[in-house]
Amino acid sequence: MSYKERSIWVSLAITIYIWFNYFSELYWSAQQNTLTTSSMQAALLSVVIMTIVLEIMHHIVIAIIDNKNANYDEDERDKQISLIGSQNAYYILSFTSIAAVLHLLFPVMSQELESVLGLPNEYVIINIIIFGALLAEIAKFTTQVFYYRRGF
Amino acid sequence: MAKSITNTIRRLRFDHNEMTQQMLADVVGVSRQTIVAIEKDKYSPSLEVAFKIAEYFNAPLDSVFQYQ
Repeated sequence: MSYKERSIWVSLAITIYIWFNYFSELYWSAQQNTLTTSSMQAALLSVVIMTIVLEIMHHIVIAIIDNKNANYDEDERDKQISLIGSQNAYYILSFTSIAAVLHLLFPVMSQELESVLGLPNEYVIINIIIFGALLAEIAKFTTQVFYYRRGF
Repeated sequence: MAKSITNTIRRLRFDHNEMTQQMLADVVGVSRQTIVAIEKDKYSPSLEVAFKIAEYFNAPLDSVFQYQ
């Protein structure tokens, strides 16, 4: 497994772990009617801090394990695979933008979502965008892993 | 049947004192995995990398890469 592929696997695991924690916390808080804008802001802040810390740790550990390739720069194949991943992520982000706009234009479509979460409309939109961005990120990483595994 | 790009890099490496994939990768400036993918015909390199490989083996481009 190449340095790049290993790095993508770890980033995928970190992304899923962090955002699973965030959304499960959001869900359980909503179930217990303890979800407020400040608790959501705190959860988002912890996501940012955890992402920074885990990504730094990830790069340190991978550089220690595979120190020969620690300064590895992307080659043309890596860049092409990365581009395909970004393209797939873009489709999902575009869909997310449309979903957020529809939510704004036709709030009746997502009244149930708002009542479940018990958050002001703008925070529901934020979570729609965050969820879409998360799916896009996962799509990007899985596309890259797919092409590294299958060969490209 | 659709044509595809094949190559003789494995053979050329063998003829050059059994040069390793890593050595060739270092010469042309790509990763070893990219050389593996090229040799298995799973990845078609850019013209620049193709020329670098041909130049290194001192062979014409069309004897290294074939479109058939």
